[in-house]
Amino acid sequence: MLEYDIVIVGGGGAGLYAALWAAENTILKVAVMTKVYPTRSHTGAAEGGINAVLTHSVGDSPEAHAYDTVKGSDFLADQDAVDIMCKMGAAVIYDIAHRGVPFSRRPDGRIAQRPFGGASFPRTCYAADKTGFYILQTLYEQCLKNNVTFLNEWFLLSIIHNGEKVEGLTAWDIRNGGVHLIKTKAVILATGGHARVYWNRTSNALGNTGDGTAAVLRAGLPVKDMEFIQFHPTGLAKTGILVTEGARGEGGYLRNKDGERFMKRYAPEKMELAPRDIVARAIQTEIDEGRGCGPNGDYVCLDLTHLGEKRINERLPQTREHAILYEGVDPVKEPIPVAPTAHYSMGGIDTDKLGRTSIKGLFAAGECACVSVHGANRLGGNSLLDVLVYGRLTALEAVKYADEASDTQPSASKLKDDERRILELMEASGKESMPKLRRELGEVMMKHFGVFREESSMREGLEKIYEIRERAKEVKVYDTSKKFNTDLISVLEFLNLVEIAPAIALPAIERKESRGSHARKDYPKRDDENFLKHSVVVKGEDGELSLSWKPVVITKFPPEERKY
Amino acid sequence: METVKLEVFRYDPEKDKAPYFKEYEVPVEGTLLNALLYIKDNLDPTLAFRAFCRSEVCGSCSMKVNGKTKLACKTPMRELYETWKGKPLKIEPLNHMKVIKDLVVDIDKPIEKMKTLIPWLVPDPRVVPTDPMHESIIYPEEMKAYKDQIHCMLCFSCYSACEAVEDNERYRGPFAFSKAYRFQVDRRDIETAKEKRIRYAISGGLWSCVQCQKCLYVCPKGVKPAEDIQNLRGQAVRKGFTDKPGAKKLKHFVDWIYATGQINRLYLPEEVYGNREAREKLTKAYESMGVEVWEVPKPTKGLMKFRDIYLEILSREEKALELDFSHVRKIDKLVSDVFKADICTIVDKVHQKEEKTKGLIGRLKELFGGSDG
Ligand SMILES: Cc1cc2nc3c(=O)[nH]c(=O)nc-3n(C[C@H](O)[C@H](O)[C@H](O)COP(=O)(O)OP(=O)(O)OC[C@H]3O[C@@H](n4cnc5c(N)ncnc54)[C@H](O)[C@@H]3O)c2cc1C
Ligand code: SF4
Ligand code: SF4
Ligand code: FES
Repeated sequence: MLEYDIVIVGGGGAGLYAALWAAENTILKVAVMTKVYPTRSHTGAAEGGINAVLTHSVGDSPEAHAYDTVKGSDFLADQDAVDIMCKMGAAVIYDIAHRGVPFSRRPDGRIAQRPFGGASFPRTCYAADKTGFYILQTLYEQCLKNNVTFLNEWFLLSIIHNGEKVEGLTAWDIRNGGVHLIKTKAVILATGGHARVYWNRTSNALGNTGDGTAAVLRAGLPVKDMEFIQFHPTGLAKTGILVTEGARGEGGYLRNKDGERFMKRYAPEKMELAPRDIVARAIQTEIDEGRGCGPNGDYVCLDLTHLGEKRINERLPQTREHAILYEGVDPVKEPIPVAPTAHYSMGGIDTDKLGRTSIKGLFAAGECACVSVHGANRLGGNSLLDVLVYGRLTALEAVKYADEASDTQPSASKLKDDERRILELMEASGKESMPKLRRELGEVMMKHFGVFREESSMREGLEKIYEIRERAKEVKVYDTSKKFNTDLISVLEFLNLVEIAPAIALPAIERKESRGSHARKDYPKRDDENFLKHSVVVKGEDGELSLSWKPVVITKFPPEERKY
Repeated sequence: METVKLEVFRYDPEKDKAPYFKEYEVPVEGTLLNALLYIKDNLDPTLAFRAFCRSEVCGSCSMKVNGKTKLACKTPMRELYETWKGKPLKIEPLNHMKVIKDLVVDIDKPIEKMKTLIPWLVPDPRVVPTDPMHESIIYPEEMKAYKDQIHCMLCFSCYSACEAVEDNERYRGPFAFSKAYRFQVDRRDIETAKEKRIRYAISGGLWSCVQCQKCLYVCPKGVKPAEDIQNLRGQAVRKGFTDKPGAKKLKHFVDWIYATGQINRLYLPEEVYGNREAREKLTKAYESMGVEVWEVPKPTKGLMKFRDIYLEILSREEKALELDFSHVRKIDKLVSDVFKADICTIVDKVHQKEEKTKGLIGRLKELFGGSDG
């Protein structure tokens, strides 16, 4: 049995920053477990930047940042937590800059900031167009410097707790095979988002399957605000891979099959530069109402041709490369097929304003957590901030807790359960094909729980999800080898998606209002009287989900209409 | 639908006695990664390979296609199909790392090797404030020094292609030197760390790089390890780490070329490896074969002009400091002694009287008092 004081699950931005702060502030035994090598985590794909009010941000203030965040969240964010996050902004930015993150600079040598959607001041710090990549690489370097222990290519299976405090984990060693019991006093979950539930149309990496969130559900612990999924308006039509907002910023046009610049009907002033959710809904409406392009009418066109080859090459080289590579379209010559793509999970593991869950010693940080600082809609650039602030806070909380916590004795029964579970998968009938079911699940989610939602359609969707959940029992792992069994991992990931899908569907049906990313055709208005509250889903012993509600913390900013 | 055959390397060390190739027919569509995912979803779920971001940022999916290193998610199937005229494509794991299974290799070793080169910032407290609320000022221009190196995504393509890794187990690998060099040119990094990095780079094979430039060609992110290695070598020499043969060799080349317009093979063993006898033995061997040997290269016409140009090139590449003028003066003296005149006049004289320069070996032997007993 492996033994640690703190195990951090996840080696993305949140996990590595937690590891760093733990390593520098304690002599306890800390390990980072991650299913892919840390530098491969999805944080590396974040391009745009990270929001923070710096000492030289003229006119701006943490309060203004907090207000924008709360307004962006459609007033569902907990304001005490938002306050903490916004106040810590400068501290985390300077800290990572001091550690080597090559932030882009102004001519006077200070960190440059640019305007971003939903922000009243330019406060998005960026490092060229690879902010997340540089942050991730730098944090990894710093972890190497601090001799952090890594369990690279280990896959979290289950969380062990006794109803009061955490006792340990079980995990599969991908490289050598085998389930391991790990004893630990504290666990920080930093396993990232679950937008892969929308398998066929997401900007997320192949492995953003919400494993930590699913493990929390299986452990009978609460997840929060799962109905909120952010859709980015412009994903490449075939793969969902992101076309950056910069493409519209540089002057790209959105056109429907008639060649019409349809944004004039939705946001006549801002046109293509309207906020993300508005553009996403406009595109979806065009598609739904039969004005989409292509043989199936399932996308619209992002037209850059008028910008000319030179400008495209200079300003949008990555967009051109990706369009050619992944869509087979050269934006210099033809418009790029785009459609909304599942991008970010606002919901996740229920934590308080310091990243603590209801179980002592169990913390969550980053995209897998729902503090909530993003409420019903995350602002661009706030996620990386959340990742760092809560990575650091949970590290300090975990250190404090593990320092004083008594020894734990995780029972080996979970180990046996998980071993049996894996064996059963290898011996299953194989009547159902996992890749096929996974595609089906993705279709169901996009169709019934996509950009627009509606009671009858969602009920139908939930039925289909349950049906897929049943059929998933017939899924088989064909590869019986121990070493690097990626077949097993794919199936485990798929089963996690199956775990998560109904936890999104249930509160989506019950939240009978439109708020942030949750846009209901049958309830087009926000309803503060009845729904200014967090949804909480727990999986019971019988395997069924139950839904309850929890108040939103409101301190400074009373709810008002969200207008831009 | 157009298809092409992939011959994929398969090996499960637990089950297979030896690696073998398995054939799959895949659509000519999307990227090589799409083709592999197609195999996994439709033909054979047991195939193992790494992939994550599918958009060329995470560095998971590098492998070999018909012997060439490629990033699977960056390689269009159409391009492969056309380059190889529809013939089967051999897909193999990267070189120089142990195969864990199929296309998955053990990358722990190169990471460990990289770690020995201190690939992280060691802040200089005079530049980087210790107060966390105090910003450190960095001008956009100074960031240009490491603008390429920071793109390394640890995909190990260069490590797989590198000639020096092939030859030398200890060799840290191209990316590792680039990672290290990134901090060598960062003003915020403390001098003592920079010095250590050079020391560790030298013991990590800095002079083993054969400058084949393969790393530079295979890197999907435009990092140029071969150049960074040259620059690190320059730094090593400048910092006075000249006690290693490689550093001495570079010094020998630079100095002799400057002094005489060409390198001197006779003096190389002595100056680089401290082997004095080699020169004498070589001279003797040549003499006995009746081959004329120039111990001091014949000064060429226009040498003085050449020196100016050479110096200009060196300084343009910021390597002028590598020129050791005291050594050059020694060489000059050697030449002047032999020709019994100042180097400047020699250049002319030599060309007036070609004949006179013969028989130098004997004169030189007197000079150095060679012990050919
Ligand atoms: C294309 C794209 C662009 C974005 N751009 C921005 C931006 O500009 N600004 C911004 O603020 N946000 C942006 N975001 C959002 C932001 O990148 C993510 O929310 C954030 O990086 C999440 O970080 P994380 O540390 O929580 O998780 P991740 O970086 O996803 O890391 C998750 C970690 O958990 C590990 N893990 C997962 N499951 C398991 C398991 N079962 N066992 C062991 N380990 C496991 C993984 O190996 C990984 O190391 C973007 C997102 C996308 C998709
Ligand atoms: S140039 Fe040097 S580092 Fe690069 S591949 Fe060749 S030997 Fe290796
Ligand atoms: S230098 Fe280039 S090829 Fe080498 S590991 Fe880094 S990104 Fe890959
Ligand atoms: S899958 Fe990430 S680089 Fe190819």
